[in-house]
Amino acid sequence: MRYWQVGLSLAMALWCTSALPDVASGKAAFEGQGCTGCHYTEGPAREKTIEDQLAKAGPELWYAGSKFNRPWLEAWLTDPKPIRLLKYNSLDEKNAGGHPTLVGADATAVTDFLMSLTTDAVTAGVIKPKSHPKGKLIFKKKMPCSGCHQYEDRKKVSGGLSGPSLVGAGARLNPDWIYAYLSNPTVFKPVRMMPVFAGLMSPKDMEFVSAYVASFKGE
Amino acid sequence: MVRVFMLFFALSLVTDAIASDSETTYKFYCAQCHGVNGDGTGPNVTADFATDPRNFTKKEDMAKLSDADIRSVILDGGPALSKSALMPPWSKTLTSEEVDGLVQVLRGFCNCQGAP
Ligand code: HEC
Ligand code: HEC
Ligand code: HEC
Repeated sequence: MRYWQVGLSLAMALWCTSALPDVASGKAAFEGQGCTGCHYTEGPAREKTIEDQLAKAGPELWYAGSKFNRPWLEAWLTDPKPIRLLKYNSLDEKNAGGHPTLVGADATAVTDFLMSLTTDAVTAGVIKPKSHPKGKLIFKKKMPCSGCHQYEDRKKVSGGLSGPSLVGAGARLNPDWIYAYLSNPTVFKPVRMMPVFAGLMSPKDMEFVSAYVASFKGE
Repeated sequence: MVRVFMLFFALSLVTDAIASDSETTYKFYCAQCHGVNGDGTGPNVTADFATDPRNFTKKEDMAKLSDADIRSVILDGGPALSKSALMPPWSKTLTSEEVDGLVQVLRGFCNCQGAP
């Protein structure tokens, strides 16, 4: 083998490893930064009672890789702006922000780790984001979605505060996760303040409303 | 005599436990719109909330609803009684016993009996 060949293959090997997701060091950073104090990362869902849900200090992250879009997640970890308008598990206190922040390599590695946490309860390729009039009608009129979720329509933000804000949900959430969350909610959140709509809405209507939510742009 | 007393004591513990469970259920699912005190002022009721959630402390309004009316609106949502769809359907979320318990919580707020 010629020297240049050795050099090239070494360089390629280096390039490959540096591009590989750094799940192990992301997991170490997640633990080292105290994230485990408020988030659990191993499924299945553990909550059985309302008390279990209220005892949590932050949302579960064991299916984060199926729920979030990677670019949003990495950016949010470095600059976490409030998603829920009220403090987690509170009905009267505002969400004052102040979520722990990650910088540089830690943010990328923790993103790698969180994106590796996937679940086969989400089927890929079902939902295409679309601001369909049918989805909009369901969200605003036929169903109570807007009663608990902020959303943006024609540059105006309105809606309830108890659910996470859906303004910019298209950048944040995987469209197929939205559909899975509506059609099979107990896998993800067996105990939650949002009603179960599975069995009350047709699968087609769930597709429409998921596509509508997935079309919400950011601010 | 002591046994009878013990029996009453045990039974009252059971009813207390059911009542406090129902209050927890109410606070978790209903207070977000109807308010912790049942007066219709939960955090979701902002300026652009289209229809005010029912104020359960208004005796004259609540007395018009039978327990069966309340049950069906909890299970199937506002449209079940030709009311706003902002009142969600809970039939796939709550058990029949939990709904019974909620009817009692609401009757506690209005301090009233329903129309038969
Ligand atoms: C003191 C508790 C606490 C700690 C520590 C904490 N978080 Fe959080 N985390 C929360 C809460 C509460 C929310 C909800 C924030 C919101 O809605 O604005 C949240 C939200 C998140 C979300 C979005 C989840 C969702 O479903 O919306 C991610 C991702 C996340 N945290 C990652 C992390 C990482 C990574 C760390 C460690 C650097 C961390 N958290 C440390 C409490 C915590
Ligand atoms: C009674 C209030 C309520 C209603 C009605 C409601 N939601 Fe929710 N929703 C919530 C709450 C609370 C959560 C967060 C649950 C949790 O994390 O424990 C949530 C979560 C969500 C999420 C996930 C957001 C995230 O970042 O985790 C989506 C998507 C969603 N709802 C869509 C809908 C749609 C579509 C409808 C109508 C068909 C609807 N919701 C009706 C309260 C509500
Ligand atoms: C997303 C907000 C929301 C949530 C959560 C909610 N409600 Fe309502 N509720 C309403 C609204 C709005 C009305 C008024 C409907 C109307 O007058 O058209 C209403 C009305 C009612 C009524 C009166 C119906 C009538 O005929 O006047 C009852 C009873 C009721 N709700 C019970 C409950 C119970 C019990 C829960 C919890 C399991 C609950 N609601 C959760 C919004 C909500």
